[in-house]
Amino acid sequence: MSWSDLWGYEFMRYALLSALILGPTCALLGVFVTLRGMAFFSDALAHSAITGVALGLLLQERTGLDLDPMWFVFIFSVALALIMAWMNRHSSLAPDTVISFSFTGSVALGVVIISWLGKYRLLDSILFGSIYANDLNDVIRQAILSLIVIGFLVSQMRGFALSTLSPELAHVQQLPSRLLHYLFAVLVAATVALSLKMLGALLLSALIVIPAATAKLVGGSFRSLLLIAVSIGLLVPPSGVWASAQLNLPTGPAIVLGNVLLLFTCYVGKSLHRISMNNSGKRSELKHGLRSGR
Amino acid sequence: MTFGRSRALQDVSLTLRQGERLAVVGPNGAGKTTLLRVVLGLLPPTSGERKLSTPPPTIGYVPQRLHFDPEFPLTVEEFLAINQPGSRAWFGGVPRRHRAAIQEALEQTGALDLARQRLGTCSGGELQRILIAGALLQKPQLLVLDEPSANIDRRGIDTLSELLQNLHSDFGLTLLFVSHDFHFVANLADRVACLNGEICGIGSPEEMLDEHYLPGAYRDPCTPVRAGFHAAGCGR
Repeated sequence: MSWSDLWGYEFMRYALLSALILGPTCALLGVFVTLRGMAFFSDALAHSAITGVALGLLLQERTGLDLDPMWFVFIFSVALALIMAWMNRHSSLAPDTVISFSFTGSVALGVVIISWLGKYRLLDSILFGSIYANDLNDVIRQAILSLIVIGFLVSQMRGFALSTLSPELAHVQQLPSRLLHYLFAVLVAATVALSLKMLGALLLSALIVIPAATAKLVGGSFRSLLLIAVSIGLLVPPSGVWASAQLNLPTGPAIVLGNVLLLFTCYVGKSLHRISMNNSGKRSELKHGLRSGR
Repeated sequence: MTFGRSRALQDVSLTLRQGERLAVVGPNGAGKTTLLRVVLGLLPPTSGERKLSTPPPTIGYVPQRLHFDPEFPLTVEEFLAINQPGSRAWFGGVPRRHRAAIQEALEQTGALDLARQRLGTCSGGELQRILIAGALLQKPQLLVLDEPSANIDRRGIDTLSELLQNLHSDFGLTLLFVSHDFHFVANLADRVACLNGEICGIGSPEEMLDEHYLPGAYRDPCTPVRAGFHAAGCGR
């Protein structure tokens, strides 16, 4: 099946558009997530989205209102992100401890609510995503969010980078490092909420962390790191959607495996390059030694 | 200055004169870094105040270290572009209009050859020169350095001391720095303040780094053994 055949199906069109919008956004965000050592933070937020969906469903059932559970995921993720960010700054507990109990506690609450509502079947789509369930509204929301996230990251690049390298230096230079700390947590939460349909709670952080990790292996500068990560975000998710249609694979896992395969290839390539550089260095040393009679 | 129930600094009164080089020495936990943080405005004092001249001086700060993964591919000039006030650094890289200023700062600190090098591969001495170049981009009148001689070998410390002396004489910079290295302090400072929760003494490097005085100043509570030093209320 060619790309044009795939584009002919409406559900596939929306899936490809989602992949093209969210892939680079998550990858760009991922550069700062990995720079700030917040991979576990984004993973925890993705998992806790279960609770956001559960709370949305609970409210829907109790009030009879037809509300999109994604709004609850958004509100819950932002609230949890702010709580974790505040505790990381102000409590004496280690950041990974704060994330660990917030994450497990919120997932446990979500599962309790879902079991209470008797909607266990929903867990499958929350955990693994359902990119083909995207509609035009989802794509528009994702596009707006992407513009906001990319706009903030690019316009505040200096502040985010400097406050990560040295919060004191950022403060002395009158940059609002505290505000940026919370703003970044909100951006991660918002991205997680809107990307949930694409990969699901279990796999979502792969879309954020892996492109940046791959780019870190091959990038020679911050600029190249950013460009490589965004390029991976642009190429791999649509390729994953295409591969899943060709090979009849689940889409989310196909995207993640594509990312992992690229990471592994870059890792092996870099290791081989390093070995060959070491060997050529040793050879030239030996040659030099022989010439000088040592 | 207190943190909860623990008192980090008490009765500290220090005046920094324009153009001088003031070193703060003292044992670990003496409150040296806390004092710098108060001076920088990072911590509001629990009581008392921090007074700046009018107009307030531009401050350049050189932290002891950076929090980053050494494998992260950030080049030295990209780091300086991030440090450059008003620089957008939209998508990494070095904005063209700031390139000359960055090159000049690197040249002033003798680190021009490091421009394209990854920050994570720089040695302790090189990193200090890069951090000073970053501080120079702020066009500072006051340069505050937190243990600049830490993690540097003797030769590197001498080079750093010479660099700071040159910056002081060329640009009339006021220097405030914390150090554990008495050789570095003796080479660079005009005045030395000995801190041990309180100011135990202020004087010239010759007076303050005297072997008869220092052991007393490092004791807890500290003992001002020399007459003539400002050491009122010493001893907690």
